[in-house]
Formats: sequence, C-alpha cells, structure tokens
Amino acid sequence: MADVGKIRIRLPSSIKAGDIVQARTLVIHPMERVERDAQGKLVQRNYSYIHTVTVTYLGKTIVTFETTQAVSENPFFSFSFRATDPGQLKIQFLDTTGGRYEGVVDIKFS
Amino acid sequence: MQDSSKPTRRTMLGALGVLGVAAMAGGLAAPRRAAAQPLGLQETGEEALRRVFGGRPMRDGAGAIKFEIPAIAENGALVQTSVTVESPMTPASYVKHVWIVADKNRIPVVFRATLTPEAGRAFVGATIRLGETGDVRAIAEQSDGTLLAVTREVKVTVGGCGG
Repeated sequence: MADVGKIRIRLPSSIKAGDIVQARTLVIHPMERVERDAQGKLVQRNYSYIHTVTVTYLGKTIVTFETTQAVSENPFFSFSFRATDPGQLKIQFLDTTGGRYEGVVDIKFS
Repeated sequence: MQDSSKPTRRTMLGALGVLGVAAMAGGLAAPRRAAAQPLGLQETGEEALRRVFGGRPMRDGAGAIKFEIPAIAENGALVQTSVTVESPMTPASYVKHVWIVADKNRIPVVFRATLTPEAGRAFVGATIRLGETGDVRAIAEQSDGTLLAVTREVKVTVGGCGG
C-alpha cells in the first residue's frame, strides 16, 4: 500500500467570496478492521486506522472528525466552510500507527 | 507492533481521552471512565448511547436534521452518509457536534464531528461501514447543549464490518 496517505480534495470549480463551500476529501488508507481468531476472540494488536481528521482554513479549525474503525476503507469526508478570504485550506489525518498525512489546497476566488 | 517508539493503542486512547475532555469542557457530563476511553468500543448500540450521552434527553430532530443515507446498502463496507443540520451557525447558536451511531455495528460510534461557526453550514459526511441491517442514528448537539436525533433503518445486503 504505497499510496497510503494520498489525499484528494474536491472543491466546486468556482468559488466566490462569502460563499459557503461544500468540499469533499478522500484519503487512501486501509482503515483496518478488527480481526477475530477461529474461536471468535478478538485479536489484540495495534490496528491501523485514522482516528482524527482536522480541517483548518486560514489557520482556524473548521471541523474535526474523531473517527473509529466503523469508517470505511479509503474514506471520503465532506464538510463545508465559509470562504471569507483567499488562503489555505488544510486537512490533516492522523492514524494509530503515528502516521500523519496532510493535504493543502489554495482557495482562490473567481 | 512491538516497536515501543510507536504509539500503542493505550497511549493513543489516552491522548484521545484528553482531547475528549478538552472538547467536552462545558458540555458532556460523561462519567470519568468514559472520558478516558476511546469513542470506538466493542459494545451494543444501547451501551454506546448510554456511555456517550449518559441518558441526556434527546429530541426528535426530524424537522432540523437532514440525514442522507441509502435505505438499502448493497455493500456494507462503503455507505455514503451525510448530515445537514439547520442552524444559523453563528457564535451564539451553532451545531457543536454531530455523531453517527450505527446500533448494530460491533463498534457503534462511527464518528464524532466537532464544528465551529466558521463552517457556515452544519454539514458533515463520510463513507461508513455497516455490519448488518439495523438503525443508524444521526445525533446533533447544539451549542446550548440540546440534543437532536434522527434514526433511519438501513438494510444491508453484504455486511462490511467483519470485526
């Protein structure tokens, strides 16, 4: 899984100042499921899954997701934000193996 | 995972707990033990609701919450959901948290989203897993502490939780 942590961010093609923008982000991640052995007992180990997603815009936190393994593999997250000024929209994913993945997109008005 | 430099499940949970406490500062009166625990536990839906919300009253949010989730999920491993809550999203009145809880999942709490007024609209979505047919709840907590909930029954053709 060389692609783990690859992030895509989708925004509307045209954003105007003051718009409430809906955005969608995808991260490539296995979001490992809990395993059970033949007896149905839980296999205790450190499962790799994303536990926190933080969206910041112009340095301010917009939305934080605290996620569990009930979120799908290669998950999509959607959220909205008020586009007040041009600037950076940053999305950070943290997983349980210490992985930290970041996607950045510049918000420009057209 | 023997490498001690990597965060273990335990340290991770501890960190999450601290985060949780910070986030809940004025809100949830959750028992202390619960605060130190992760969101995602193997438990029943009922236990999860009791643990997270501690029996706080929940109002029917049918008028305010738009919960989009398919009525029939052919593949439980990937179910598109989104939640929109009607709210002015001003510092005086906004939606603070949105939860999705799938009652029949072995890990019922799917996620908790924490919003700020800057979001402009109380809209969050994610692709989730559903283990089997059952109720899925979207629960919104407003900045004044009011809890609103809507429930949808989702039929799952092929379960996607495995665990």
